[in-house]
Amino acid sequence: MTMKTFPPLGEISDAMVIETSRAAGEPEWLTEQRAEAWRFFASAEPPYWRRTDLSKFKPEQVIAAADTAATSLYQEEDLADQGVAFTTLAQALRSHEALIRRYLGAAIEPTRHKFLALNAALWQDGVFLYVPKNVSVELPLTAVFSMPIPGGAIMPRNLIILDDGASVTFVEEYHSIAASDQAFAAPVTEIFLGNDSTLRFVAVQTWGEDVYHIGAQKARVGRGAALEWAAVNLGARVQHIEAETALEGDGSRVEWVAATFAADHQNLLTAPWLRHIGAKTEGHMDFKTVVKDQSYTTFDGMIKIEHQSRATVSRLEEHALHLSPKARSDSIPGLMIDTNDVAKAGHASTSGEVDEEQLFYMRSRGIPRDEAIHLIVMGFFEPVLDRIPNDALRQRIADMIEAKI
Amino acid sequence: MNSDLVIKDLRVSVEDKEILKGVNLTVKAGTIHAIMGPNGSGKSTLAYTLMGHPGYTVTGGEVWYQGRNILELEPDERSKLGLFLAFQYPVAIPGVTVANFLRAAMNAHRAEEGKDPKETAIPMAQFRKQLREQMAALGIDESFARRYLNEGFSGGEKKRIEILQMAMLEPKMAIMDETDSGLDIDALKIVAQGVNTLYARHPEMGVLVITHYQRLLNYIKPHFVSVLMDGRIVREGGPELALELEEKGYDFLREEVASA
Repeated sequence: MTMKTFPPLGEISDAMVIETSRAAGEPEWLTEQRAEAWRFFASAEPPYWRRTDLSKFKPEQVIAAADTAATSLYQEEDLADQGVAFTTLAQALRSHEALIRRYLGAAIEPTRHKFLALNAALWQDGVFLYVPKNVSVELPLTAVFSMPIPGGAIMPRNLIILDDGASVTFVEEYHSIAASDQAFAAPVTEIFLGNDSTLRFVAVQTWGEDVYHIGAQKARVGRGAALEWAAVNLGARVQHIEAETALEGDGSRVEWVAATFAADHQNLLTAPWLRHIGAKTEGHMDFKTVVKDQSYTTFDGMIKIEHQSRATVSRLEEHALHLSPKARSDSIPGLMIDTNDVAKAGHASTSGEVDEEQLFYMRSRGIPRDEAIHLIVMGFFEPVLDRIPNDALRQRIADMIEAKI
Repeated sequence: MNSDLVIKDLRVSVEDKEILKGVNLTVKAGTIHAIMGPNGSGKSTLAYTLMGHPGYTVTGGEVWYQGRNILELEPDERSKLGLFLAFQYPVAIPGVTVANFLRAAMNAHRAEEGKDPKETAIPMAQFRKQLREQMAALGIDESFARRYLNEGFSGGEKKRIEILQMAMLEPKMAIMDETDSGLDIDALKIVAQGVNTLYARHPEMGVLVITHYQRLLNYIKPHFVSVLMDGRIVREGGPELALELEEKGYDFLREEVASA
């Protein structure tokens, strides 16, 4: 695969950002947005993250993609006559500019930190998905982002918009072709769910061992809408994902599950935020982590029940399994309640080695120790794997987990 | 090779406290042998030790089975030798279905060194048929095959699943650890029938039934009864011994042992 690239980030000027945008025929408001984001990126200090090790990361040397060669889209049925748009964001600028202008950046503020600004300034890759009112899409739609050249960088920008009553399954996958690719990915996914819509969102990160992945995702959920969100994090040297679900509409709900498996020297952080804003919103989070070797993971989760919410139901479960004594998993769950009207809010957290009683029980049936650990780990992740809509992808993830154990 | 289970002067400690203080016992192949004893006598310690639980420290003695001192073997090796323990408190394995667990266990038993596990694995159709039949015989609803092992199961359901595992694995020497505890009479009958059916099918198998109460022995008729007290076998006899204990309680034996 070949791709067009920008010069190293250290050599890019805001004039170049503006010129590139104009040469691509982008609307002026977008050129403006990119230039502003670039100025923020160029002047901001790198964020200080205590639990994400960026000491070996040199952003000024990054060579970013200047086309959409890293984006591959898969759909199994033709949806155009139902009015569904599923295309690269770059292309959608020609057909859906008004929608993009309204929603781009409306969930995630580009100036939250330097790398989000970088995404806003330089994004080329990325997907645009729009499902019109009351349209139900049966088969999953998948966007795969892979690194076209060693040492490259991609900043996919994904915009998912479901109109009222729409329903769809969307899978975003970050995936290295070669395991040893050195690379950087800074994707941003913004999701907007109209009233009574349903989204099954699956985010899979299976980069090779030398990738830095700094990403953000946010879903804004409308009245009566339902989000099922399953995240799988297996790859990358360093991962820093800030993810948020904002239950804005009354009666909106989320079922949020995640599986993280870190080995070797991987440093994987997930920071999920769940915000209850509307009345009678319901959120369930079930996050599973396995650590092995000298890896280090962080679960930096927060549930915020805001002042104007009422009769909220919220539950957070978060469990970590240690396969090696040197591996480390930090858990920093938080619960902020700004109202007196909560129906139910609960939190459960465990962390520990494989249970000896489970092992003995399985071994007493003839299953050797190693195989028993395999079964226990696969079982631990089962609630997440169960949510992956596509058999081939589920099998591939299961195989990767097996190989990692 | 000797298919009797021969326990010689077995001494076991838990956290430095001696629980079994020299147990001598032979469970003959082809017999049903009951071990009765009051709470705290060491019954469960004996069951767990025979299966190789890492929390029990053997400080002396031997246990011979099939020509091996099984105390030197890992739990999975003991299982492959034909030993089976029906747990008093079966363990839940979240995310692992009853069917997948059983298939893994059966395939582990069928595995042979130097052979591809795919070659020795039980064919799927055969496994499904066998599982369906055994579940029906034990009155277990088919939906249990897809449920996570012991997760959210009632006490009675767990015990039935233990017997299901036994029926599928067809052990040569089965140890039942307080299988009657927590069961009502109907469930007890079904569980006992499961054991009796398997025994009828494999009359060469040995069954060691560990229980506090005589009740279970109305349904699983033992050939021999041994009484375990304070870490030692204090009395051996036939089925009439169980009835005597039911009538008189354990105290009369305790007095006898004390005065001996």
